[in-house]
Amino acid sequence: MATIELAGLRKEFDGVTALAGIDLRVEAGEVFGFLGPNGAGKSTAINVLLDFVRPTGGSATVLGYDAQADSKAVRERTGVMPEGYQVYKRLTGRQHIAFVIDSKDADDEVLDPLERVGLVDAVDRPAGDYSKGMKQRLTLAMALVGDPDLLILDEPSTGLDPSGVRQIRQIVREESARGTTVFFSSHILSQVEAVCDRVGILRDGRLVAVDSIEGLRAAAGSEPTLRIDAPGVAESDLTAIRALDGVDRASMTDGHLVVGVADRAKFRVLETLEERGIDVADFETTETSLEELFMAYTEDDR
Amino acid sequence: MSWQAVARKDFQDAIRSRSFWVISVLFCLLALGVAIAYGVFTDVFGADRTVAGLVFLLANAISLFIVITAILVCYKSVAGERESGSIKLLLSLPHSRRDVIVGKIAGRTGVLAVPTIGGLLLGLVVGSALIGQVDPVATALLLVVGLFFALTFVSAMVGFSAMTGSSAKAAALTLGVFFVFELLWDVVTLVLVFVASGFTLPSPASYPAWIYPIMQVPPTSAFLSTLNAVVPGGTTTPAPVDPSTFEAFYASPWIGLAVLLVWLTVPAVVGSRMFARADL
Repeated sequence: MATIELAGLRKEFDGVTALAGIDLRVEAGEVFGFLGPNGAGKSTAINVLLDFVRPTGGSATVLGYDAQADSKAVRERTGVMPEGYQVYKRLTGRQHIAFVIDSKDADDEVLDPLERVGLVDAVDRPAGDYSKGMKQRLTLAMALVGDPDLLILDEPSTGLDPSGVRQIRQIVREESARGTTVFFSSHILSQVEAVCDRVGILRDGRLVAVDSIEGLRAAAGSEPTLRIDAPGVAESDLTAIRALDGVDRASMTDGHLVVGVADRAKFRVLETLEERGIDVADFETTETSLEELFMAYTEDDR
Repeated sequence: MSWQAVARKDFQDAIRSRSFWVISVLFCLLALGVAIAYGVFTDVFGADRTVAGLVFLLANAISLFIVITAILVCYKSVAGERESGSIKLLLSLPHSRRDVIVGKIAGRTGVLAVPTIGGLLLGLVVGSALIGQVDPVATALLLVVGLFFALTFVSAMVGFSAMTGSSAKAAALTLGVFFVFELLWDVVTLVLVFVASGFTLPSPASYPAWIYPIMQVPPTSAFLSTLNAVVPGGTTTPAPVDPSTFEAFYASPWIGLAVLLVWLTVPAVVGSRMFARADL
């Protein structure tokens, strides 16, 4: 079953198009990265999922419910870290969590979610005194209350130090392991590639790509390249290597053997060369950086 | 119930406002001062002072205070949450937008109930002691009608706050309502009488009867009329028109209760609908 299904989703604000017809299916249990530069429409799409804004056209279905007509049912089973939120400055961390437990009729212990995000020490301080990173942790803890079926994290890494970013990833993995679907937006590809099964790239209100990271790489023609310094490679060796599963191309360039190859097949290439009696003096792998890949999708041909 | 969770959260949040506590202390001091004055200055208030008399004096003194405190506690209740973005935390939880409005009205009425009950009880107890009388009925009725008035004004202010996403606009709207319907309403009625009488101003005794319900439009006037209707031995009639001197369906202080019901419902319903339709 699809956890999130968008069909022809459009949103215009006073004549400005924020979403220009989005079709997307996120399967149950998936960790989905929602990527795009700032202003591409990520938050607008998320706001439609939560009924913060109403679409101009198309439909959004979340957990089997219409995101507009049955929004309350959606939010019963969803944990959210929204974008552009503010905590209640006068309420303590404990009161925030208690409010969520109260609202969701959950039976969590107040301290449990705070423990998971490492905020137990600050539990009785007013959230107005928290740093930006602590507010992010508090909001993440609120999202975890009630063991939601869907986690929506809108730019969760904003304001977090590297250890906080790692912690978010860890929690996403834990939640995913227990079957939670995670929808994770970011404008930084490297933050989602480590945890996401698939990513969708949004640009100017359109989804320009939906695929796994490997799939995106292949589609962008930027699969990793293995460059081997191995004298004495003959045409027959090239043929043998080209025949390997996972190898896309192999050629001699500048006296080096250059192989376009998937990660999993790299060692097989080296092994094959050795089996054929070729001495590998040195090798290196190069790949298009993820940032370059992301740029390729979001900044070309304007 | 969803709105109750919102109400509890909102009560905890709003009760921690420092300016609210400052104004609450002033509120109690005012009630105390009125009670002591009523108990001590027999040459001003006459010798036959009653608890009912004290009730109306207190009600007169505190009605504007309730209004101002309600504006202070409520004008940002919805608009402020939209402006800061905390509404996104609130609405990412399973609350409908109507739950949010109802919860906020309940929560902030609870906040306003603290100084209302505290101040009125303080004034009633001290005043009763000074004049050596106890009137549990009048005392209870003032508390009940006072709380209902607090609820009414809170509901109206939350309703106005829900009409906009900007605290500044909400402040302008609530203060504008306060100025027109409380401070300037005497002038409005005067102009109406003036125009209706062919651009002359009659003496108050010959004001047209229909001006009476119009004079009840300000929530504080409607509050005092309602109190008049329910408390036996009521001593004040909102001058200059006395409803007992003419015949009409509106010639009764109960019209005040009808006006309060309008203030209780109309702004909240309109605000709630506008909020329900808004993009956040």
